[in-house]
Amino acid sequence: MATRTIQREKLPSLVPPPVAGIASLIIPGLGQVLARETRRGLLLFGSLVSITGLMVWRIYDLAHLEPGPLAMLRKAIARRPVFVVPMLIGIVALWLWNAWDAYRQAQPDVKGGAGIFVLVIVLFFTLGWQIGEIDLYKLGSELPDAWRPLSQVLWPWPAAVEREEEILSAGADILVPCDDNPPPPPEEVPGQPYLVATPTCGELSELGENNQIIPGTTLKLVGRGFAPNTETKIWWVDPLGNEFVVRQSGEYVVFQTDDTGSFEIELIMPYRLIPPSAAGPQIHRVEARQVVGTGPARPSEPLRISIARMIETIFLGMMATIFGIFFSIPISFLAAKNLMSGSWLTLAVYYFTRTILNIVRSIEPLIWAIIAVVVVGLGPFAGILALTIHSIAALGKLYSEAIESIDPGPIEAIQATGANRLQTIVYAVIPQMIPPFVSFSIYRWDINVRMSTVIGLVGGGGIGFVLIQYIKLLDYRAAGIAVWFIAITVAILDYVSAEIRQRFV
Amino acid sequence: MLEVKHLTKIYEDGTVALRDVSFTVEDGEFLVVIGLSGSGKSTLLRCINRLIEPTEGQIIWNGIDITAADPAQLREIRRQIGMIFQQFNLVKRSSVLTNVLAGRLGYVNPWASLLHRFPKEDIEMAMQALERVGIADQAHKRADELSGGQQQRVGIARALMQQPKMILADEPVASLDPVLAHSILGYLEQLNQEEGITVICSLHFLDLVQRYATKVIGLRDGRIVYRGTREDIRRMTDEEFKEIYGEEAVRVSVGPREGGA
Repeated sequence: MATRTIQREKLPSLVPPPVAGIASLIIPGLGQVLARETRRGLLLFGSLVSITGLMVWRIYDLAHLEPGPLAMLRKAIARRPVFVVPMLIGIVALWLWNAWDAYRQAQPDVKGGAGIFVLVIVLFFTLGWQIGEIDLYKLGSELPDAWRPLSQVLWPWPAAVEREEEILSAGADILVPCDDNPPPPPEEVPGQPYLVATPTCGELSELGENNQIIPGTTLKLVGRGFAPNTETKIWWVDPLGNEFVVRQSGEYVVFQTDDTGSFEIELIMPYRLIPPSAAGPQIHRVEARQVVGTGPARPSEPLRISIARMIETIFLGMMATIFGIFFSIPISFLAAKNLMSGSWLTLAVYYFTRTILNIVRSIEPLIWAIIAVVVVGLGPFAGILALTIHSIAALGKLYSEAIESIDPGPIEAIQATGANRLQTIVYAVIPQMIPPFVSFSIYRWDINVRMSTVIGLVGGGGIGFVLIQYIKLLDYRAAGIAVWFIAITVAILDYVSAEIRQRFV
Repeated sequence: MLEVKHLTKIYEDGTVALRDVSFTVEDGEFLVVIGLSGSGKSTLLRCINRLIEPTEGQIIWNGIDITAADPAQLREIRRQIGMIFQQFNLVKRSSVLTNVLAGRLGYVNPWASLLHRFPKEDIEMAMQALERVGIADQAHKRADELSGGQQQRVGIARALMQQPKMILADEPVASLDPVLAHSILGYLEQLNQEEGITVICSLHFLDLVQRYATKVIGLRDGRIVYRGTREDIRRMTDEEFKEIYGEEAVRVSVGPREGGA
């Protein structure tokens, strides 16, 4: 045998190459198995079967309403040609390649050849792309629409302060319809906002036969004495006292006053359904209103809530860490192999403790929070419980590993001085355990505060709780404030914990 | 006088570390134990202060049977026996001073010591001990900031704090440079000669053995295969050397003294 490699000897094929090729054509990988390349054959069989199976599932997913397999295939190709066609070609190619590969493997001096597995990986990747519904076009095309909420999250600070609000308004009476005696314009009082409409009577807009709007009288509105450069809205008050912001060709009538607090606009009198019983002259009223912030700026409600919840979050993490440390220290002794390898009983305790710790640790804090919420209800206590449970498991493992790695040398040395057991622990064991314990505990606090922001999403209290509410209310500025607080706190904590750990290790 | 009688140690995994080892050490002697790694030197030293429990045999020191001592008596005995280790075995994160003061743990009030409170005299004594080994200026550093040679001197100072009648030194210079080896062994020799402290020390290099030992025992596979005086070891032949160290052994020299090949 003319092998040049230093790897294992190639066993002679059981069948001639053409037979191997045909075998693989019928059952993928069979030919390789017959050629004594069992692992390669199994791998190819598994790959082809799973790729084909996944493809069938995707086609069904795309076209499950079609009556037969062929119709489904046609529909799937029509819906996702870029995915389905290359995949089908790829599967056929892989099948043929697999047969040819079997033919080659059955020859005496041929080995390896990784090209076929590159194709396998490419096919899996293509499937993954489709199953994951990856859509880069969407990422680009939807971004502009998302920009407004995103920008509010990124820079939420205008919503961080608020002022006492006051409504500045002035109005003028309008007679509908006009008669000989239109109402006089209101009297102007110095220092007060003032609005005058010309004329002071007219016709409302009406609906015509074909539901088209017949415009009413155009009023000229002149306002004075308003707050300068401030958003101003025009309201209409009908005789029954109903108020609404006037729309003009679909848009609300909203404008800014000029530097002197004056404005001048034209307004078509709005459409208003008047019950027939109310026929006859009526007094309507047009008003210009501004919402003006007065008094000193003060922290807004989202800001106050975010700060309070952030503090709650930090303490939530802290309490969970302290409880975690408190319970995990004794547990960690039970989970330290060097301490527990004395007898089969202690060893059994060790394995039991380890198993429990591993199970508890492998369940995410989020799941624990959901369980805790069921038990103690919404609020920070649920979060503390969830994080405590997870911390006990995580710290228990880390501590026990720290105990396992303590150096027996100093213990021996201290014993040799005639020290008793307690002295040996205080002088040789504890000094070795403090640095890893402190380091792990601080690190855990760091993790717990970060986690507690997430725990809130499922009702575990803390800032995550209000964050998810703001997001659901589409109040992106408030959500942005919460996100900012989380980011700042996590960054500070990260830095502080790194500093402290560096000191102790 | 230390009498070791028929000492045998079999570990739990069945390894026989010492087989029927008997010897005596007069007070004020500098006994060196030689032998290959794994020949039982460390086990022998640790059996003397019962850091390792002997399986069989007796160790009698000045009439007291160490092997029969109850825990309280054992602590009493241990505090009179200083011990020095190859890896120094300092508590690395504690200060040098704390490490040295730990040598007093067998003497002080145990409860006060748990709070790291030591009598003033002990602290003065610790400073003197550090002075004696020449590193008083390092007292407040962390032990792991010191070099290997300095750490071993801390180890000696810790042993000195016990006001020992005997010092067990387990390969005290095996982790150090040859030049430092002489400096460390020099301290031990000084203690041996000036204060009459018995020293039992395991060593690797024959040159050091020839320079410092007043009496030598050689261990091989847990058995004593060589006993000699200072004069005997100076005249040691290659046959005897190979008897202890095995056929493939070659003498290497260390330190300022010239050694044979």
